[in-house]
Amino acid sequence: MRPAESKTEKWGLLTVALIMVVLLPSLNAFTPAGTFLHVSNFSINLYGKYLCYAILAISVDLLWGYTGMLSLGQALFFTLGGYMMGMYLMRMIGNLGQYHQPIPDFLVFLGWGTLPTFWKPFSSFPFAILMAFLLPGVVAAIFGFLAFHSRIRGVYFSILTQALTYAACLLFFRNSLLLGGNNGFTDFKFILGYDLRSPGTQRGLYIATALALVLVYLGCRWLSRTKFGLVQQAIRDSENRVLFSGYAAGYYKLFVFVLCAFIAALGGILYVPQVGIINPGEMGTEKSLEAVVWVAVGGRGTLIGPVLGAIFINALKSWTTRAYPDMWLLILGTLFILVTVFMPKGIVGLPGQLRSLHGRFRPKSAPAPAASTEPKPEMAKTK
Amino acid sequence: MSWRVSCQNGCSLRLMGRSGCSAPRLFMNLAPKLLVWLLSGGIFFGCFSARADNTPDSDIRQKLVQAIQSDGQAQQQLLNELAESGAKIVHDVLTAWIREGVYLYDGPDGSKIPVILDDQLDPEGKARAIRIIDGQFIKDASGKELRFASADLNTAETDMRLRSSVQQSMDTLALSAPNPEERNSAVLKLGNSQKPRYIPILQARLTKETVTAVRRSIDEAIALLQLADPDPKMEIAAAQHLAELKSIGALANIKSLMNKPGCPLDVVKACRGAVQVIDNHIAFVNFIGTIFHGLSLGSILLVVALGLAITFGLMGIINMAHGEMIAVGAYTCYVVQNIFGSGFGFSITLPISFGGKMIQFGLHIPGLNATGWWFESYFLFAIPLSFLMAALAGLAIERTVIRFLYRRPLESLLATWGISLVMQQLFRMVFGANNVQVNSPSWLLGHFSLNDVTFDYNRVFVIVFAILIVIGTWLLLTKTPLGLLIRAVMQNRAMASSLGVRTARVNMLTFSFGSGLAGLAGAFLSQIGNVGPSLGQTYIVDSFMTVVLGGVGSIVGTVCSAFGIGTADEVLQQTTGSPVTGKIVVLVGIILFLQWKPGGLFASRSRSLD
Amino acid sequence: MSMGGQQFILMLEGVNKTFDGFKAISDLNFYMDEGELRVIIGPNGAGKSTMMDLITGRTQPDSGKIEFGADTDLTRMNEYQINRLGIGRKFQTPSVYIYHSVFENLLLSLKGPRSVFSSLFHRTTPAQRDRIGEVLHTVGLTERSDWKAGSLSHGQKQWLEIGMLIAQDPKLLLVDEPAAGMSDEETRKTGELLVSLAGRHSVIVIEHDMTFVRQLARKVTVLHQGTVLCEGTVDQVQNNERVIEVYLGRKKKEKEKGER
Repeated sequence: MRPAESKTEKWGLLTVALIMVVLLPSLNAFTPAGTFLHVSNFSINLYGKYLCYAILAISVDLLWGYTGMLSLGQALFFTLGGYMMGMYLMRMIGNLGQYHQPIPDFLVFLGWGTLPTFWKPFSSFPFAILMAFLLPGVVAAIFGFLAFHSRIRGVYFSILTQALTYAACLLFFRNSLLLGGNNGFTDFKFILGYDLRSPGTQRGLYIATALALVLVYLGCRWLSRTKFGLVQQAIRDSENRVLFSGYAAGYYKLFVFVLCAFIAALGGILYVPQVGIINPGEMGTEKSLEAVVWVAVGGRGTLIGPVLGAIFINALKSWTTRAYPDMWLLILGTLFILVTVFMPKGIVGLPGQLRSLHGRFRPKSAPAPAASTEPKPEMAKTK
Repeated sequence: MSWRVSCQNGCSLRLMGRSGCSAPRLFMNLAPKLLVWLLSGGIFFGCFSARADNTPDSDIRQKLVQAIQSDGQAQQQLLNELAESGAKIVHDVLTAWIREGVYLYDGPDGSKIPVILDDQLDPEGKARAIRIIDGQFIKDASGKELRFASADLNTAETDMRLRSSVQQSMDTLALSAPNPEERNSAVLKLGNSQKPRYIPILQARLTKETVTAVRRSIDEAIALLQLADPDPKMEIAAAQHLAELKSIGALANIKSLMNKPGCPLDVVKACRGAVQVIDNHIAFVNFIGTIFHGLSLGSILLVVALGLAITFGLMGIINMAHGEMIAVGAYTCYVVQNIFGSGFGFSITLPISFGGKMIQFGLHIPGLNATGWWFESYFLFAIPLSFLMAALAGLAIERTVIRFLYRRPLESLLATWGISLVMQQLFRMVFGANNVQVNSPSWLLGHFSLNDVTFDYNRVFVIVFAILIVIGTWLLLTKTPLGLLIRAVMQNRAMASSLGVRTARVNMLTFSFGSGLAGLAGAFLSQIGNVGPSLGQTYIVDSFMTVVLGGVGSIVGTVCSAFGIGTADEVLQQTTGSPVTGKIVVLVGIILFLQWKPGGLFASRSRSLD
Repeated sequence: MSMGGQQFILMLEGVNKTFDGFKAISDLNFYMDEGELRVIIGPNGAGKSTMMDLITGRTQPDSGKIEFGADTDLTRMNEYQINRLGIGRKFQTPSVYIYHSVFENLLLSLKGPRSVFSSLFHRTTPAQRDRIGEVLHTVGLTERSDWKAGSLSHGQKQWLEIGMLIAQDPKLLLVDEPAAGMSDEETRKTGELLVSLAGRHSVIVIEHDMTFVRQLARKVTVLHQGTVLCEGTVDQVQNNERVIEVYLGRKKKEKEKGER
């Protein structure tokens, strides 16, 4: 189908994957602290967080960049996955909480003496993981079915996903949901019997995250090259044509939407044990929008873009919030405005943009590959 | 609150013996409220007017002195007369009297002068004595004010019988208070006292009372007292009368009467009927109250969403910074308020040093230090200014960012979100991260009740103003040349442009207008809720839902859906008992509704859609 | 028109459709034989495109019957179901996937399974490549196979969309203004192509350009105000007084207006 990508790309990918999965954790584990090459525990933990965000960003991009659906609800699926993982971790605290009760502290605080029934199976790791995928998947399936069935598209889809996230966020703030109210879950102690505070466990989690990211990346890369990927992108460019070619566009979109909910949930599952806290604030609409910023800055419609964007913006955020805490929102906001207006293709598209700027005097010839700076013509032009 | 202000003025005037002036002054105080009533359709029950009891102050004081000095029948007679006067001084002196706070000072001529002691004590615990006859301090021959401890003076004697008649006079006195609301509350107090001996007093008052609302209360109180009568016939009549009056306050009394052991059957029956009627009335009142709250909430949503309906519905711009335009309006109110008050200033220090110096900038606007009605009128200036400031902010945003994004709706969403972040941070830097205090002018505080339903002035104001804004917007869009241009450009930019319309200018004006409407919404919100940097975020999801539900591009749809969402929200909050659950149900409801009608309530079903 | 025993491929009976009070289609009756090439003409707003929308399931009629083949009721089906029955549609403005190559555009249109899972594990067979090559040849885009569709000229996009239609191998083709924006030479070739398709396929063409209509030289249906004004050969239609009145008399105006 698509002309095979050059070998350099493959080698490049392999190198980056190896650096992420093998080199960084090795430098953390085997070099003495304080030496030049050493990667601190703090950094490994931080990188782990960035990579979780990168997974989330891929899910946003698969929807937005590849299918033309801007979902403002990806943080919801991310957080739902995280919450299920959090429930498992809360159970693993055992009676080491402040109240020294066999149930989570906040339940004691709410006056519960025994564990509510729906909490019980979460002592099992496989069950928690299953639920962490199932719940976001089911929510996405139901919402997606309703939305795509009634052909809600474009901006309306964005606004509705935003409303969904907002409603869920309000719901999770409630204490009566028995999921920790606005404090959420925190003070985790163990995962699968390992101490969460030990550097070894954190390193293991980092490696798992890096591996997950590589797998998600490869999976999406494969997907985008199948005929499914072609249909998916065709839906983005001309949904009517797809419908009139006999494809049930709605089911394709539903498939992608649920798949992206799974991917986002995976990010959330890995995020919670590394960050050590999950609360409804993570679910807010601004979190979803932030993930969209990463994708836009990195370059949508590519797979490397969202990863770059997520890491770049979050690294910037870590630095700014420490150096100039007041300025972070100003910087993020300004960056976003500039990128949207002047760099519609993000960091990834920047070289192409510069090239086309440079070669503007040259006559247009040959099929312009990705370097076209033309804004995408609106998809609903067909009549 | 507003009532209290106007009454205090009235009372103080009366004490100074210039009662003739009170009517026009009261009218001035009432004027803004009258305006609100008139705007709300003029539905209002008997307008309170200043009661003109023209007994001169000196006469009352004369009678007080006589009452203290006399006894027996004459004393009783005087007390009854005083009770009719309704004057504050009578209340003060009688209160002092039964607390043994009225003294008889032996005058230099051997006469006994009734006095009360001033509230202010000197370090020795002594106070100046005030002559009741003229309100002057007792002085010695040289004109020096004399001071007394309470033990220095002879107390004006009281006994149990006297105290009880003074107490009764005081109860009645309140019934004659110049202010209808005070009279009303006195009536309610007597009505709830369960003492049938007040019935004649109330009946006597009923013959004199002119204010409809108070008459109704007296009627109700009499019936309530009759309910405590041992005669079953009287009880039945009272219960029936209370049912006729739909007296909510009587419900508990009626219930306790019918549950009393040994209550005759026909009384129970009458009571049951009354309870039924009153319960229905309560349900009705709650329903109307909920609808009213829903409408006022809907009005705010409407003004917010109307701006959005223009920028989003007509122009196709997803303005996530629309919420911040609301905040601009609200903060404008705050700044205007402070300028009318003590002034406004801020300073920002940037965390960047330049040549060893921190960059700092700030602004200080001196205040006008206005007081009274001049200060209270700040809101009238703030309303147009909040429109203007938000419109200017919108203009700046349109010129710098949005004009690049007219063909990219999804990206306009992202860029404007960036703007929203920047603006929120700017608010934090200028006004602080905490909520700021915006005081409502007194003429927006308070409420009136109609048929037991309470209507707050600020909510009535918001509803009326929202309706005016909708009408104004509709007129602008349909009846003015600018409206024609706006509609032309929004329908087909290219075509309008090629016909010589300066589309850039129209875009700019339309966007500013939409933003300005959000600013107006902010001005209202500052009167109802908190003003903080994230004020806009609270409303942005709701207002988008309002526009989508109404049908994008349809002003009528926006109006319907704003009121619909507002009312549904309020009703669900009442029925589910939790604001959050109500909101979630509304959001889910909207999502489901759009399944059924994807285009919203008023979808334009033209074939040229998408 | 052959009433009686023979089976129609498409039949519209008593169809009505109103948009916001505007009667776009009113009591429309339309019958078409299998293998026929039919041209539909009519002034702007005559309901031509709405008729296409009704047939392809984009809008539902307020009342009336739309049947395909023996007795397949189209009114209750949606776009992709109708397409899978074998009804292909070319839009007025070319509608191709601009970020896909010409080859990919055709691949997506090729007759075959359309489900999500089949698309995940699809492998392009040599037979399919050959078929695409054939179509590319038919529409004259062999050399452009690897180009992004977005970089084709307007006329080439029109051809590509026709190619996509052919690749679907539908029983019935609905072609909306195929010659718009084409040079005379391209228009003539398009006409030839459409004529060659008739017989094996049934074709409905909507057209404005009377020379082009004449080239197709088949039965013409004139729509006016959402209903059939008259039917017949080009000459019959052109000599019909009512047609002259409502359509040909205003032809110049129509041309100026162009198409939306």
